[in-house]
Amino acid sequence: MCRIAGIISNYTEAFEGREKVKSMCLALRHGGLDDEGIFSDEKAGLIFGHRRLSIIDLSNNGHQPMADTEQRAWITFNGEIYNYIDLKEQLVTLGTRFHSNTDTEVIISAYLYWGIAAFSKLRGIFAFALYDKEKSLTYLVRDSSGIKPLYYHIENGQLSFASEVKALKAAGIANEADPNWQIRFLAYGHIPEPYTTLKDVYSLPKGEFLCWNHKKNTYDIHSYHVIYPKVCIDDPDQAKEAIKTTFGFAVSRQLMADAPIGVFLSGGIDSSLITLLANQEKKAQLKTISIFFNEKAYDESMYQNLILKQIEGEKFGHLVKQTDFEGFLPQIIGDMDLPTTDGINTWCISKFAHDDGLKAVLSGIGADELFGGYPSFNRIKYIKTGKKYPASLFKIANYSTFDPYRKIAFLTYNHPIADYLLLRGLYAPVDIARILDTDVAEVEDVLFANRQLPYVRNYDEQDAAWFELNLYMQNQLLRDTDVMGMSHGLEVRVPFLDEDFIRLTENIAPGIRFDKHRPKKLLIDSFADILPRSIWDRSKMGFTFPLQEWMRENNEMTDENLYKGSKAKNIVKAFKNNSVHWSKVFALFQIQMHA
Amino acid sequence: MTRTLAYSLFHISKEQGWNFKLFSLYDSRYDLMSQYLPAEKYTGFGDRRIGLGLQSIREAPHTDIVILNHINFSLIGIAIKLTNPKCRVWLIAHGIEVWRPLSFIKRAFLKRYCDKIICVSSFTKAQMMLRHGADPDKCVVLNNAVDPFIKLPDSFEKPEYLLNRYGLTTANQVIFTLTRLASSEQYKGYEQVIKAMSSLKHNYPNIKYVLSGQYDSKEEIRIRDLIDKYQVNDQVILTGFLNENELTDHFLLSDLFVLPSKKEGFGIVFVEALACGLPVICGNADGSTDAIKDGKLGTAINVDDLGELENTITGYLNTPLTLDKRQKLQNECLFYFNEKSYRDSLQKIINDEPVA
Repeated sequence: MCRIAGIISNYTEAFEGREKVKSMCLALRHGGLDDEGIFSDEKAGLIFGHRRLSIIDLSNNGHQPMADTEQRAWITFNGEIYNYIDLKEQLVTLGTRFHSNTDTEVIISAYLYWGIAAFSKLRGIFAFALYDKEKSLTYLVRDSSGIKPLYYHIENGQLSFASEVKALKAAGIANEADPNWQIRFLAYGHIPEPYTTLKDVYSLPKGEFLCWNHKKNTYDIHSYHVIYPKVCIDDPDQAKEAIKTTFGFAVSRQLMADAPIGVFLSGGIDSSLITLLANQEKKAQLKTISIFFNEKAYDESMYQNLILKQIEGEKFGHLVKQTDFEGFLPQIIGDMDLPTTDGINTWCISKFAHDDGLKAVLSGIGADELFGGYPSFNRIKYIKTGKKYPASLFKIANYSTFDPYRKIAFLTYNHPIADYLLLRGLYAPVDIARILDTDVAEVEDVLFANRQLPYVRNYDEQDAAWFELNLYMQNQLLRDTDVMGMSHGLEVRVPFLDEDFIRLTENIAPGIRFDKHRPKKLLIDSFADILPRSIWDRSKMGFTFPLQEWMRENNEMTDENLYKGSKAKNIVKAFKNNSVHWSKVFALFQIQMHA
Repeated sequence: MTRTLAYSLFHISKEQGWNFKLFSLYDSRYDLMSQYLPAEKYTGFGDRRIGLGLQSIREAPHTDIVILNHINFSLIGIAIKLTNPKCRVWLIAHGIEVWRPLSFIKRAFLKRYCDKIICVSSFTKAQMMLRHGADPDKCVVLNNAVDPFIKLPDSFEKPEYLLNRYGLTTANQVIFTLTRLASSEQYKGYEQVIKAMSSLKHNYPNIKYVLSGQYDSKEEIRIRDLIDKYQVNDQVILTGFLNENELTDHFLLSDLFVLPSKKEGFGIVFVEALACGLPVICGNADGSTDAIKDGKLGTAINVDDLGELENTITGYLNTPLTLDKRQKLQNECLFYFNEKSYRDSLQKIINDEPVA
């Protein structure tokens, strides 16, 4: 619900440090218009900054950075802790005193009582920095799905961190570009974690904490995940019952807010389900935000109306036209923080949600990844078949004139990232090399050199789920959603990624969890009593905009003179002839804008 | 272990002004990290056996020594020797790949074309002589060494994040096994430890068994059934695949490393555990005995004797593992198995001098 920033340095003057943190907060202002705060401990060389978007406890009691009643620890925190009331009750029983009704204070007290074991007790979306005065340690902590962002930079024994990369740049803390970002961006369509566009600026991995030792200026990064007893659910009825209960509970607790909260409704299964469940709880207080188009092929208002008829509350529908898109585009690109070929839809709907008076919304991200909603769940088995043939056979794909086939060249590489890029990537290595006027070998080194991923073995739905959750959703969907939402001061919550719900789905036997014929069948069946048939018995549209048409009408984007190199110019030409996907040109457009 | 070998050979070559190259099968060029060997010295051939073979033969005329890191390269070894008889062709013999009957080509290679056999343990050397009639003068023992880049601990506290992850406290006594948990493996030493847990838990109510390693779903079902059968659900913690960067911390978390195996060519994992100050129990019928310096650094047992396993574990649990003890164990292990000594021994082998 906020933006955070900070510096820890024994070498920077206190005044200079404060000025830098203030610059960071200024650059992050859009994500926290309600309040600003700075805390510094000169002896520790520590400065925390905070921009507040008030959603729980709108009073001044929620001001941050915040300490416990005895000022043993300080925090600057972005997010929501959905189980904070439960944790607070436990802590009160154990003797802890509180000075506010905030979830922020519960995090501090939980840490002071349980130590780092507290991190795995939290249920919610969070990125925070916590300073333990007695131990001279600071923890940077990020939630287990990576819903909230946290970037850090370490140089010469100094640690800086912020919710967005632009803040570090604005304060002059990190300026040098990462020489490899264009290669990654053209391959993925985004910059994959832990990388960014800046050299030595990284994303803290999800589910992990960085512990900074103030005395030694050293740090460690570890996972705080806890191992739970493995339970296997192989009875379909038991699975459906558990899904209904656990997800219902997730939606319910994620609706907690003192500020106005609503739901994004696209007309698809996931957002429809959340809307119907949220309506049971919020009734007339629920607001829904929907988008529709004049371009009939993309318009889902028929399905949206089916759901809207069944619910109470205020219903906001917004028509988006090509001229709106043209007008929004410069700001969309400015708000991205890191280049991405996605996020336009989220930017628009977040803008409308904010204009309609909302501060928080629920979104349906996560369901496709958990229950097999994407085409990749079926396509992955073809990769298994492809790997039976000699890899060099697939080099021939580099010569294909039919653009979508060129990615088959990824089968030349024996690497899990190559498998992922075959399913989800943008440009093949040969094309990236031509666009950027560099060697294919260099492109390959950048993309495949780091082999830290666990090996994908079976090329089944579970492996597809892994790719979707840990690569596409994490690096593109969640990141884009957070930054586009926060650019309008809107917090986007994701009930499908509730920690307990994710754990439940992982315990469900794959044979029941995934269906070969109907995507997300288990989820649909679990809510068959409330989900109308017409919502699920239709083809998936995925909340897409008519960008293929709209971008082709954009003069700047289709001006070949703007692009360097014959390869880029040819791609733009082909795009104008409608034989290239818009995301490819959008990527080239951003590359040349940064040049 | 190839990484350490590559590192050592590269540094020897640098010192002597020699030219060193590494050709690797099944790896791509992204697999060798540059701190071990500069990229230009390394070629990863992926699955191109023939490519690797042809390149080796092409280089043979101006190569003085070729070291084959696996007996499966026998045909290439023969081809190299025929191309350039002056080129010395050596083999590194590890473990199970040579503790079995060999094909005609491999036997022919060993008999007529192989000039030296570097055995990673005395057990492997004995096997080479017993099974394949290898000439004892051709065989030399060179134990493996600790990876020069491994993150060694300087303090021995149990890492808090791992205590939390597994729901442990410092009151728990932790037995640790790290191995591949595959349904295709015939002998599974960790089964013995699971069985041992079921009796040990009565005298040691705080005992825990952390069993780590990648498993397939078939093997997972089998292990969990076994855990149920012996009623050690509260004791056994299956972690799955372990990230290399968490290995040292898992050794620090534990009080004893146990791998009752019959098939370790040398057992580098024992040395890695010892380098973190962790006592070890290994099998007495394979190369592991070299890793514990014939009983100086750890205890070797008959892996089929469950009673002996239980008694040996009991012996360790009854002797508190002090920080001093851990430090001493670490120092001793590094004295024997550091990369510098390994490099010196390798140099002596290249110079045809006797190795201590």
